[in-house]
Amino acid sequence: MFGDLERTPRTLLVCDRSSFLDEKNRLSSQVEQLHFNYKVSMLLPECSSAPSHLEAVLNSFNSFYLIRKLPIHELLDKHFLETSIHQGLVSGLSYRTRIDEDNCVALMPNGHLSLSLDKDSFELLGVEGKLSKFNQRTNSRYVVSVDLTDSSLAPGGRGYQRLVTGLRSRLQLKTDFLLSHHPGGGASLQALLSRCDWSEHRPEVRSHTLTDLFCPLLTSDLQSCDPHLLLEWLGAVDADVSCENSSSSFLSSLVCPEPKTTMSRALSVSVCGLLSPQDVHRLIQQIRCYLDQPRLESWASLTVHGFVDSPVSWGGDEHGVLRGGENFYSLLMFHDHTYHLHLGTGAHDTCPP
Amino acid sequence: MRRADTKNEPAVYRRVVLKNASPYHYMKVCLVLEDESTRLSAVDLKQFIVTGLKSLYGEVGAALTFDLLKYDEDSLTALLRVYSRGLVKLWSSLTLLGSYQNQTCAFRVLQVSPFLLALTGNSRELQLD
Repeated sequence: MFGDLERTPRTLLVCDRSSFLDEKNRLSSQVEQLHFNYKVSMLLPECSSAPSHLEAVLNSFNSFYLIRKLPIHELLDKHFLETSIHQGLVSGLSYRTRIDEDNCVALMPNGHLSLSLDKDSFELLGVEGKLSKFNQRTNSRYVVSVDLTDSSLAPGGRGYQRLVTGLRSRLQLKTDFLLSHHPGGGASLQALLSRCDWSEHRPEVRSHTLTDLFCPLLTSDLQSCDPHLLLEWLGAVDADVSCENSSSSFLSSLVCPEPKTTMSRALSVSVCGLLSPQDVHRLIQQIRCYLDQPRLESWASLTVHGFVDSPVSWGGDEHGVLRGGENFYSLLMFHDHTYHLHLGTGAHDTCPP
Repeated sequence: MRRADTKNEPAVYRRVVLKNASPYHYMKVCLVLEDESTRLSAVDLKQFIVTGLKSLYGEVGAALTFDLLKYDEDSLTALLRVYSRGLVKLWSSLTLLGSYQNQTCAFRVLQVSPFLLALTGNSRELQLD
């Protein structure tokens, strides 16, 4: 009778195992393809304070700007196009817009502008687009993706005029916008910022030390641990959920996966904001240096969460929210340079790279 | 429901894609009460949810196992874990729970995910002002 009630929307978990020493490992490209990172959290076992080289990287994540009520046609300003977008120096994302109900905008570092629009807005804009992959039945959402570096969108051309007029006069799309720039790109933003109400924000770093916690026995072959159970344990540590339960307890029966061991202490550090993949990459390199030294525990873990309401997730693939718009990866690195990468997505997402 | 493709390099590179394999779903919910001064303990909250399951799905529904992983008494916010096949039942009974001790109440479902890890990194919580 309740058979249909037992179904849940599609979820995907990709588990990759490889080694940093393998020339063909794809980690860098996988990290760089997730453009809009919201939170990075790191777990170092048997560690009570971050070594200085890690601390330095965590505190040197690039700052980003919040521009309030940015008219989106400002991104197509001729000067801004030439000094920032064509150079591949900026990326940005609309802020406090929900992709399941509002219009969302993403500007990718490769110069692609992606707009996820409801049907009315799409028709007002009058630019070529596609029906969203995930709303085919209701026809309620459309995706417009334009390559701003393409010659057909050169300032002054017909395609450019049509897009600018659509954004400025017909749709009049305005939204709060998060903008980040690559090192050296700060100066090129000044002209744009001078016309807007903006504030600069530094990624927020939080750290806390955990003591006496259960931990699954993690070895580089990871034979013993089911990926879902491992991610559940990492989530429990991050959310500060207790794993010390018995199977008969009334409230919760969550336990640490077997075989387990105990850790006397662990350091958990998180960074929140609009974080660039390059910063994440630098952090991974520093964690590898940290693991090179002899330690009690020979692993470290890093989890990166993408923005839930971004119109794109990995690469330029369309992303949406059904029940949750999760797009994240969790990287477990070992002393012997092997790593396990788990990439998870919800129902409105394509398979991660 | 599972697909696994393994590349040719033994012992070094391995890629496995798991589809719909998550045993559990996790929910972040918040209880909104008419009288905001009412206090509930974790046990009260779980008992209340069980009552809701029982009134909608009967004794069989009340036997649905779910876990209250974490609960904050001040904000009445809880993290729940339920077997994936029980998600719809739990969610629907939360939706239909309308009164607690003769005062109106409602559950707000803040986030649902097959990964507990995803509940710790929700970009909708980013506050910059």
